[in-house]
Amino acid sequence: MLKIENLSVSYGSVRALSDVDLEVLGDGILHGVIGPNGAGKSTLLDAVCGRRRPVAGTVHYRNEDITRRSVAWRRRQGMARSFQRTSVFQDLTVHEQLHLVAQHLGDNRLDDVIEVMDLAGYLHQKAGRIAYGVQRRVDVALALIGRPHLLLLDEPGAGLSAAETLHLFEHLRDLVRERKIAAVVVEHDVDAVFACCGKVTVLDLGRHLATGTPQQIRADHRVVAAYLGTAA
Amino acid sequence: MGGSSLRVPLTLVAVAIVFVVGAVAPTRFAGDFVLRLANEGLLLGMLALSVAFLMNQAGLVALGAASIYGGSGLLFAIAMNDWNLTPVWALCAAFLIIVVYATVLGALIVRTNPLAFMMLTLAAGEMISHAVMLEALRDYTGGADGLVVSFKGTVFGMEAADFASPARFWVVMWVAAWLSGLALWAVGRSRLGAILRAVRENEERMRFSGFDTYLPRLIAYVLVNIVAAVAGLLHVLNAGFVSPESLGISVSTNSLVAALMGGIAGSVGPLLGGVIFSFAQDEFGARGLTQLLTGIAIVVFIVVFPRGVVGGLSSMAWLRKLGFGGRRETS
Repeated sequence: MLKIENLSVSYGSVRALSDVDLEVLGDGILHGVIGPNGAGKSTLLDAVCGRRRPVAGTVHYRNEDITRRSVAWRRRQGMARSFQRTSVFQDLTVHEQLHLVAQHLGDNRLDDVIEVMDLAGYLHQKAGRIAYGVQRRVDVALALIGRPHLLLLDEPGAGLSAAETLHLFEHLRDLVRERKIAAVVVEHDVDAVFACCGKVTVLDLGRHLATGTPQQIRADHRVVAAYLGTAA
Repeated sequence: MGGSSLRVPLTLVAVAIVFVVGAVAPTRFAGDFVLRLANEGLLLGMLALSVAFLMNQAGLVALGAASIYGGSGLLFAIAMNDWNLTPVWALCAAFLIIVVYATVLGALIVRTNPLAFMMLTLAAGEMISHAVMLEALRDYTGGADGLVVSFKGTVFGMEAADFASPARFWVVMWVAAWLSGLALWAVGRSRLGAILRAVRENEERMRFSGFDTYLPRLIAYVLVNIVAAVAGLLHVLNAGFVSPESLGISVSTNSLVAALMGGIAGSVGPLLGGVIFSFAQDEFGARGLTQLLTGIAIVVFIVVFPRGVVGGLSSMAWLRKLGFGGRRETS
């Protein structure tokens, strides 16, 4: 589904990602990306979705090199993302914004998304006036419209309690499994990632450190030394 | 239950009555001088309408509206005087050229951020207004003297004398203002309007939702310039003259002020703002303190009615419905 090869991204003279390789299969499992602050997790998503141009390397999506494709094109081809800081339309009602995007992407199964993200009670409220946790669900719902093949979720649990994060991750895990799609989720809450992700990639200082099942990652001494510490 | 179903037809009837009375009553009861001011006010109001629509729907402030307004009038005059076209063909040629110009300019500038867009519209407008004054183009543009336009025959069934008559031109302006207002109101309520507002609010999210954010803004830019061009053509038909000042920055800023005074949220506000501005300018001019009193009036208006007169009045009506408005504590 997604294949990243030798991906490097720079912010001026600072190299945020260096020669990162990653492969994500469309096999219905959540693929978590973890790592300390500044590891390049969000930059990785930015480069995959076209928000930031890589200085080197390629991004292949469904067997096509999409490294130079626009953000809107990628979205229309089924690559969707949510943001670390909630990115919704504050001045539109929840229904208005979901409907606008669904209409554009030709998705007539909006009710499914509303049900999955548990938004039925908020449809007629402006997004700017609902609780932050619900806004995050709207953000994810916007990404789910159009039945995407690849979901990129940037810290969907940011601003949520540990219980809410776990609940959201369980929702996402079930959804991804049911629809047999690919999903990459960047998250700081390691417990939620280990509980719900079938595969985990660890980044450190812009480099790929390890990829494996949660059990393999927990046991990896490099990951323990760089990120997890003794708490893992 | 019957109340809500009755409300729509009643509203339509009320709107139709306002339309008919507004078209006829001033021509019966108002003098030529007042009608002239009102006509100028509606012309400025149409320009303000174009500025307000772009601000409200797309979050873009255009400071070069006058170059379209005055430019269309100037092109009409050139087409009549130098190209020897009939009035109708001259109108069509002027309109077409100005729309092509607006489309090309828009294609270059709507991609930029709002601040850069504002500065680029200002720069383009100033460029045009200075080009008109160039000595090399004087034979065409009339330079600082402007151009006189006189036509024989009819334009859409009206002769030159009809356009010059304040009462008859009032009816034309009233209809044109309504049509422009309704057209932009309908666009605002359409899918294009929803997309524009969403792009204004969160362009990045729109791109990440698969939308092309460039084309809707370009369409909006061209649409508002069509309204400005129509206003410019009506202005020259009425005045029979086009001056270089009509392309200048002061007309652009006046339209912006009129939009803010009336309120940018709908179509009524900018049109009303134009009329208020026109009458206020006349009143201030009679006292010889135009600039000073205009400045004070702008500050007062914006402080008292931050959402414009129409926005302010509608909130008061809303408050009244809830039983809060219209009452004051007495001591």
